[in-house]
Formats: sequence, structure tokens, C-alpha cells
Amino acid sequence: MLKTSRGRILRNTTVILLALVWAVPTWLVLSNAIVPAAEYGSSPHWWPQGFALFDNMSQAWNKAQLGPAMGNSLLYAVTSSLMAVLFAVMAAFAAVVMPVRHGTLWFWLIYSGALLPLQVFLRPLFLSYANFDLYDTQLGLVLVYAAIAVPFAFFIMRNYAMTMPREVVEAARMDGASWWRLFWQIHVPLSKSAMVAAFVFQFVAVWNDMLFGITLSTSGNIRPVMAALAELQGTYVSVGPPVVLGGAILVSLPTVVLFFSAQRFFVNSLKLTS
Amino acid sequence: MSTPTTRSRTGTDHESAPAGSGSRTSVRPSTIRRGGPQRALVRERLTSGAFLAPAVLLVAALLLAPFAATFYRSFFNDHRTSGFAGLDNYELFFTNESLVRSVENTLMWVAGTVVLPCVLGLAVAWLTNATRWSRLARLCVVAPYALSGAAVAVVWNFMLTSDGALNQLLSTVGLDPPAQGWLLEWPSNTVVLILANAWQATGVAVILFLVGLQGIPPETLEAASLDGAGPWQRFRHVVLPQLRPVSVIVVGISLANGLKSFDLIWVLTRGGPGRVTETLAVSMYQETFLLQHAGAGAAIAVVLTLIVLAASWLYLRRQLDAKGD
Repeated sequence: MLKTSRGRILRNTTVILLALVWAVPTWLVLSNAIVPAAEYGSSPHWWPQGFALFDNMSQAWNKAQLGPAMGNSLLYAVTSSLMAVLFAVMAAFAAVVMPVRHGTLWFWLIYSGALLPLQVFLRPLFLSYANFDLYDTQLGLVLVYAAIAVPFAFFIMRNYAMTMPREVVEAARMDGASWWRLFWQIHVPLSKSAMVAAFVFQFVAVWNDMLFGITLSTSGNIRPVMAALAELQGTYVSVGPPVVLGGAILVSLPTVVLFFSAQRFFVNSLKLTS
Repeated sequence: MSTPTTRSRTGTDHESAPAGSGSRTSVRPSTIRRGGPQRALVRERLTSGAFLAPAVLLVAALLLAPFAATFYRSFFNDHRTSGFAGLDNYELFFTNESLVRSVENTLMWVAGTVVLPCVLGLAVAWLTNATRWSRLARLCVVAPYALSGAAVAVVWNFMLTSDGALNQLLSTVGLDPPAQGWLLEWPSNTVVLILANAWQATGVAVILFLVGLQGIPPETLEAASLDGAGPWQRFRHVVLPQLRPVSVIVVGISLANGLKSFDLIWVLTRGGPGRVTETLAVSMYQETFLLQHAGAGAAIAVVLTLIVLAASWLYLRRQLDAKGD
């Protein structure tokens, strides 16, 4: 009896300590993003003082052109993820449901894109984008983000398709339904939950990307939001920490909200990968 | 044709023409065709090709072709008229001081991203699995996972600068903090970066381990308790062995993510001071786009790819096995 209670105390202390270590940076960021930029001295505040969060955010919004950048990232994240999920569900349908030859080959051809580090794509993409007038355009970024999102979305959709009952499809084929009809009227409705999971996952990945943003775009009205945040961080000393932190919170809000409202989908999509 | 029970043997290819309503648009004259099994097969191939094409084309044009180009480029040198250089670019890994440091840092990242997020993630998942109040503690650990690398860099810059929160905390406790902040001295700056990465990356390990823990049948734990196993023994001999498949995935994912991490280092230190905090992912960008050494950059990218693939092999092997059945 004594032993278990001592164990419990040990366990609870560990949990509390770990949580504190993790919560301290979060807490400091929140409380210092609230401090008015003009009143920020030389050292961080451990308690919020005054309330200028929205003022700091709007300063960041103006100084780093966060408005257009967030608009761009929203466009990129939504269109590329939609494209990727649609293409992925089509490919998964062909690879799993249709009697396709060399299924394994197709799987690896598409999925290999998820394994390679982004660095191997950068320079050739940069050069050919410059050639085809895609450099520093919204279309160029949408295309590259869609390409990056396809392999993992395909992985999720394919694993999901493999768990679906084959009988439905076979019965529909017996009735003479065409593949297109099977796809739109049976496969897509059945895959809806996995499609949402893949969409959320890819949306977050695109929104959070910085590497392609700084490599394939340069102007303020094209570049995505994380490239703008990196530039804002470069002005840390001149604009003051509260503004930078306010900006970081502002650009993180969409994904944080999405993450916690769609946690179920996240967990499911992670589960599907295992 | 417009009724649900179409009777074409070969599987018609009319794209769900508006059913009923009298306006039966004849999609193609060939729909009436009674082709032999041979033609049906060809048509089936074409249809499956059409389903695969968008994904395959996008990946091939924007990912695989650039990869091939990078691989090819890595065998050419960086002189004005870049000629064939064999493995010269790869020799830089042994001769170029910055690259040697970069490899060392990458190895530290590998060790750090395997040990920290995985061990801490397992600990947090296991310790917070039982009680209700500890969900809040778990939330603290999982929340940073939703942040981007750039945002994590902003957070940790604020913590680590010379007049940052960490130094302030240390001097309040009575310790003597390093006056120039934490990011100037090697190797401590790389260690600090790895810790910052762990702050973010542990969240996904927690989530995955929780999924794994929920898959453990409670009867096995009850049986162990009845046999007189203490909490540690239960964890060691009942829980851990059953978490093995999940652990492999967590290790693989953390490794691959750690190796690929660029944003955090780039925003926090730009690989500096000098080039001492560069990992291979950062060195590639530095060599290619800032120093204009495309060949060296390509060679780094290829080596990074090999390491990432080797790390991914850990969990890909399972995927391959699964394909067998």
C-alpha cells in the first residue's frame, strides 16, 4: 500500500515536471505577445502586463505583409490539398480496386516522392520554374505543393481502400456499372473520412512549409506565410519581441485550431500509416 | 442505358450521363459495341491508366525528374564550364571543413531525434494514459506539434537570446548564464537546437504511442498484476513488447523528420555562426543557393537522400511485408 502511493507520487511529479517544461515556452510566448511593444523593456515578462495582443498582431501584419502572405498560404493549402486528395483517391482506386498490372510498381513510383528529402528537388525546380515562367507565381507554388502532397495522401487513401469490403465493388461490376460510376458513386463516398484526414494533414503541411516559399518565390504578394514570418523574425531587434511573437501566434492560429478541432482525423490518419 | 441496370457486358464508359429526363445524350457510338474480351481488357487498362495518370504525372514531373537531375548534376564540378568530375563532389565530405562539421551535426541530430522524442513520447504517453487530470499535462506536450518549424524558431529565439527568458530564469535561480546566449558555441548550440526540435517533435510520438497503448488488451495487464508484477515489471515485460511495432514507426518518423529539419535551423541560426550549426539539409541550401556550388549541393542532397532512405527503411520494411499478404 505504501509502495503504490509512493509510486503514484513519483509518477505525478514526473508528469507535472514534464508538463511544466513544455508549458513554460508556450506561456512565455503568450504573455509576452500581450505586452505592448513600446513598454517591453530588455527582459521577458513572466506575467502579462497591459493588453496589446491585437495591436502587436496588427503591427506584425503591416510590417511583414502578413495579410497577403496568409491569403496566399490559404490559397496554396486549400487548392493543392484538394488536388492532391482527388488525385490520390483516384490513384488508390486504380491501384487497389481495379485489376491493374504492376500494382507494386505504381505504388512505389508515387509513394517514393514522400521519402525523398525536399532538398533534392530544389535546384532543378528552381531552374525549370525560371525557364517556364513559373518562378514567383501562384500557379508554380500550387503545383509544387500539390506534387509534394500527393505521395502521402496516396499512401493514406491506398491503405484505407485496402480495408474496404470488395463485395460492394464486385456486385456493382456484375450489375454493369462503369468504373467511373463506381468511383464517384461508391468509392468516393466510402472514402470520405480518409479523404478529410488526408486533406487536413496536407493542409497543415503546406501551410507550415517554408523551404519552397523561400526558394521558388520572392515577392511579397506571392510568397507563403512562413517565408513572411522568417522575414519578420529577421527584424526581431527593430520591431521588438512582442510584435514578432504576436505575428508567430497569428500565423500559427489556423493550423493550431485545425489540429485541435480535427484531432480525431489526425490520429486516424496517423493510425492509417502504421 | 439510363436505367441503373445497364446491361453492357464490357462495362460502359459513359460518364454517368444524366439519368432519365429523356435527353439521352449518346455518349459514344462505341458503347453499343460488343468487343471481345481482348478489347475489354485494353479498355480496362486505359481506364486504370486514366485514374493513375494525374498522380503519376505530377509526381514524375515535379519530384522524380528533379531528383534524377540532381543525381546527375552531382557528378559535375562547379567550375565555370562545369565538366564531368566523377566523385569529386563526394570527396568534399572528407576534405571540406564545413561539410565535415555538417556531417557531425547531422549525426548528433540523428542520435538526438531518436532518443529524445521517442523516450519522452513513450514516457508521457504511458504516464498520462491512466488518470484524467493528466490529459491537461499531455495537451501541454502535444500542442507544439501543431506549430511550424519557423514558428518554433521564433519561440526559441525568444527563449535563447542573450537577454532571453532562459538566461533570465537561470540568473533568478542564482546560476551564471552564458553571456552571449546559447547559439554561439559549438557543440552546445547544436544540442540546444536539437532540444528545441524535441520540444516540437515529441507531440507526434505521444500521439502514436497512445494509439499503440490503446491497442494493448487490458487482460494482459490484469493477468500480470494477478501474478504479482509491479508497475515497472508490467511496463517492462507486458507493455513494451506489445509496443514494438509502434516504436519502429515512431523511431522511423522522428529520424526522417529530424534529418529533414531545415526551417528551425535556418530561421534560428542560418547555420551559423560561421557554418557550425549546419546539418546536411542546411548545407545543401547554403552551397546551392548562396555559394553557387550546384555540384557540391547536389552531392549533399544525394547523400542526405541515402541517409533518409536508410532511416525510413526501418518502417518501410513493414510496409513491404504487408504487401506480401
